[in-house]
Amino acid sequence: MINQLLKIASEEWRYWFRTKLAISVLFLMVCMTTAAVVITAFNVALQTEQREALQRASEKAFIEQPDRHPHRMIHYGHYLFRTPPPLSAIDPGVDSYTGTSIFLEGHRQNGSTFSGQQQSTGLSWLGAFSPANVLQVFAPLLLIIVGYSVVSREKEAGTFTFLKVQGVNPLMLILGKGCAILSAAGLVMLPLIAGSLFALSKGESGIVTFTFVISYVIYLCCWSAVVLFASVVSKSNRGSFILLICLWVATTVLLPRIASNSATVLVNSPGKIETDFSVLQKLREQGDGHNANDPAFSQLKANLLAKYNVDKVEDLPINYKGIVAQSSEKNLSKILNDYAIESMTQQVEQAQVARSFGWLSPSIAIKSVSMQLAGTDLENYHRFLVEAENVRYKFVQSLNELHAHEVSYNDDNNKYKNEDTREKAKVSSDNWKVLDNFNFSIAPSEERLTEVKTAIMQLVFVFFIFIALTVFSGRRL
Amino acid sequence: MSYVDFKRELGFLFSKKSVVALLVVTFLLSCFSVWTGTEEINQQRETISRLIKADQIDREDVIDKKSDYGSMAYYTFNLTYSPPSELAFAALGSRDSMPWKHRIRALALEGQIHESDTGNPEMALTGRIDFNFMISILAPLLVILLLHDLKASEMKNGREELLSVTSRKKNSIWLSRVFVSIFSISICLLIPFWIASVINMAGLGPVLLVSFLTAAHIALWAFICYWASKKSRSAPHIASGLLGAWLLVTFIIPAGSSVFIERTVTGPQGGEILMAQREAVNDAWEIPIEITMAEFVKTYPEWKGHTSMDGLFDWKWYFAFHQVGDQKVQPLVSSYRKMIEKRYDNAGWVSLVSPATFVSRTFTRLANTDPISAWEYEDRVRAYHTSLKEYFYPYLFKKVEFDKRELDKLPKYNP
Repeated sequence: MINQLLKIASEEWRYWFRTKLAISVLFLMVCMTTAAVVITAFNVALQTEQREALQRASEKAFIEQPDRHPHRMIHYGHYLFRTPPPLSAIDPGVDSYTGTSIFLEGHRQNGSTFSGQQQSTGLSWLGAFSPANVLQVFAPLLLIIVGYSVVSREKEAGTFTFLKVQGVNPLMLILGKGCAILSAAGLVMLPLIAGSLFALSKGESGIVTFTFVISYVIYLCCWSAVVLFASVVSKSNRGSFILLICLWVATTVLLPRIASNSATVLVNSPGKIETDFSVLQKLREQGDGHNANDPAFSQLKANLLAKYNVDKVEDLPINYKGIVAQSSEKNLSKILNDYAIESMTQQVEQAQVARSFGWLSPSIAIKSVSMQLAGTDLENYHRFLVEAENVRYKFVQSLNELHAHEVSYNDDNNKYKNEDTREKAKVSSDNWKVLDNFNFSIAPSEERLTEVKTAIMQLVFVFFIFIALTVFSGRRL
Repeated sequence: MSYVDFKRELGFLFSKKSVVALLVVTFLLSCFSVWTGTEEINQQRETISRLIKADQIDREDVIDKKSDYGSMAYYTFNLTYSPPSELAFAALGSRDSMPWKHRIRALALEGQIHESDTGNPEMALTGRIDFNFMISILAPLLVILLLHDLKASEMKNGREELLSVTSRKKNSIWLSRVFVSIFSISICLLIPFWIASVINMAGLGPVLLVSFLTAAHIALWAFICYWASKKSRSAPHIASGLLGAWLLVTFIIPAGSSVFIERTVTGPQGGEILMAQREAVNDAWEIPIEITMAEFVKTYPEWKGHTSMDGLFDWKWYFAFHQVGDQKVQPLVSSYRKMIEKRYDNAGWVSLVSPATFVSRTFTRLANTDPISAWEYEDRVRAYHTSLKEYFYPYLFKKVEFDKRELDKLPKYNP
C-alpha cells in the first residue's frame, strides 16, 4: 500500500518535471524563501547589534554624568532600546511599525520613537520581504500552481476511470496526490526550518521553536488539503484553478485587510496625545511636583509636620521638596499607568477582533501564531512599554529618594544663588549606578505557548474541514 | 469598435454567472473600501476637533495658574496637526505609521518631534483595504481572473476559428472583449469611489485623475492578458504565468528593492540624534553660562546685549540652552532627513517596472497621504516651533512684566 502511495506521488513529481512550469515555480519559491531567511537574519543581527550598542552607550552615558542635583538626573533621563528576539529573524512582526527606542524621564511616559516604517522606502505593498510573509502569503500560491490539477487532470484526460478499472482506490489516489503536494510544501519549509534552528542557537526555547515550525507545517497542510479538495471537486483543470485563485485572493490578500479595517472601525482607540490631555488635567488637580508650595500638597505637608513634630518644613530632618517630588511621582505614575493600560487594552481588543477572522482564513491564524511565538506581536510590544515604565519608575524614585535624604532643604532652596550653593545642592556621581543593565526579554515560553492555542485550533479546524470535504467528495468519484 | 460590438460583448460577458459574481464582489469590496476609508478619515477629523477643544482648555488652565513668561513657555503645550485631505479616504497612505499630530512646547524640538503618536501597529502591519489598494494591488488580479482565458476557452470550446472568421478584422473580436472587460471592471470599482468622493467633497480634478489612473492600470493589465492569451497554452498555464508576473512586479521587485535601498542608503540612526541632543541640552547645566549664551547669540545676535543673569537660573538661559541643544544636532538631523528622503526618492525608480508602485505613489501624492506630505507637516511644525520660541524671547530677554493680554499674540498654528 505504501508502495502504491509512493508510486502515485513520484508519478506526480515526474509530471511536474515534465511540464517545467511547476518545477520552475517551485524552484523560484525555494529561492525566494531562502533569500528572505538570509536577508532577514542579517538584518535582525544588524539591528540587534546596533540597538545593544546604543543601550550600552546610554547606560554608560548615565553612569558617567558628573555630580549633580538628583532632580537634574531625572530630567537627564535614560534611553531604552528594544532588542529583537531570536525568532524575529523569521517573523519580524510589528517590529518595524513600532518605535525602537524610548526616552525615560520624570513625570512623563514618552511614546517610543523612530519606527523602521518611518525610515522605509514605503514599498511593502504586500508586506515585507520576510520569511514569515513569504510563507504565509506566497507559499499557498505555489501549492496552487503545482497542485491545482493533480486530480482534475486525471478526470479531464479520462485516466481517472482507467486507474479505477485497474483497481486503484480513488481515496488512495487522492492520498498519493496529497503526499506529492505535501512534499512540495516540505521543500519550501526547508529554509524556514534552517532559520528556526538558527534562532534556536541564538537562545530561543526548544519547545517554542518546535511549535513554531509545526504551525507552519499545519498551515501548509491546510493549503495542501484545500488544493486537493478543489482538484477533487472540480470538473476541469480550469475550474479548479479559478476556484483556488479566488480562495487565495479572498483568504490571504483580502480577509486580513478586511479584518484590520473592521477592527479599527469597531473598536476606537484614541491616540496617546488625546489621553495626554486627561492626564494633564488630572495632574494639575493633584499638584505639580516641581512646586512644593502647590496647595495640593498641603495635606502631605501637615502630615509630615505632625509626624516629626515640627512647625516649619525647614525644620524637617528630611528635604520636604524631595518628599513632594516622590509623592507626586507616585500619584502621577498611577494615573499614567491607568491610561496606558486602558489604551493597551483597546489596542489588544482591536487585535483580537482581527484575529478572530482566523476561523475564516488560515493565513490570519498562522500570522497570529507566528508573531505570538516569535514574540513580535502587539502584546510583546506592550510588554516592552510596561517594562520600560518599571525601569522609569524605579530610577526616578530612587533619585527622588536621594533628593529627599541627601540634599538639605536649605541647600535645595539656594541652589541657584551662586556657584558655592549650587555645589552644595549636588550629590556624588557614585549615586548614578541606580540603573540595571536593561535587556528586553519577551514573554516566557510557557506564556507564549498558551497564547497561541486558539490560533492553532483555527488552523487545525480548517485543516480537518478540508480533509473531511476531500474524503467526502473523493468517495463519490 | 462599434456600439453594436460593444453591446453584444457586454451581453456576452454578463451571460456568464462567474463573471457577474466576480464583478458584484468587486463592486462590494470597492464599497467596503471607500466606506471604511471614510469612517477612518472621519475618526481622524473628529480626533483633531476634540484635540483643538482640549488644547484650548488646557492652555487656559495653564494661563490661570502661571504668572510669568518663562513658566508659560515651559508649561504650555501647543497643538499642531495635519488634517486629512478630501481625497484621503481613498488612499490612507502612511498616516498610520507617520505622525500627523504633535503637541509641542518651546523647549528643544528634537526631543519632541520624533515622538509618533500612531495607531495600532498590528493593524498597520496587516495594512488596510482602501481604494488605493483596490486599484493598485487587487485590480490586476481581477483582470487576470477575467481575461487570462480570452482565447483559450474559446479555443477549447472550438469556437475560436468561427469567431475569427465572422469578425471583420482579425483581432477586432478579441479587442472588443478586452475593452468591454476594462470598462466593466473600471465601472464596478469607480462607482463607489465617485459616490464617496461626492460625500467627502473631493475636488473634481483629483477624482478625474484617479479615475484615469484606475482605467489606465486596468487597461495595462488587460493588454498584458491579451498578449499572453495569444499563446496556445491551457488557461491555467497562462494564468500562472500572469500571476507570476503580477507577483514579480507587485511583491518581489518592490520588496527586494526596498531591502536593497535600505541597505545602501544609510545615515544616522534615530537613537543617535536623541542621545546627542540630550547630551547637548543637559551639559548646559555643567558648563559656564557664557559659553551657552555665546552659542545662542550666534543664531540670535539680536540678544547679544541681554545675556547677563542675576542668579544661576533664568528662563532666558534655560530656553537658550534648549535652542543650543537643537543647534548642535542640526547636522545629524538634516542627514537623517536626507537619508529618508533619498530612500523614498530612490524607491520611485521601482515605479518604472512596477505599475502598482506607480499607482500607489501617485495616488498617495494626490491624496497628500504619502511620506512627502508627512515631511511637509514636520516642516510646518518646525516653523511653528521657531515662531513660538521667537515669540517668547523678547519677553524673557528684556524681562518684560507679565501681562496676560500679551498672550493673545501667541502664534497660532495654521495647518
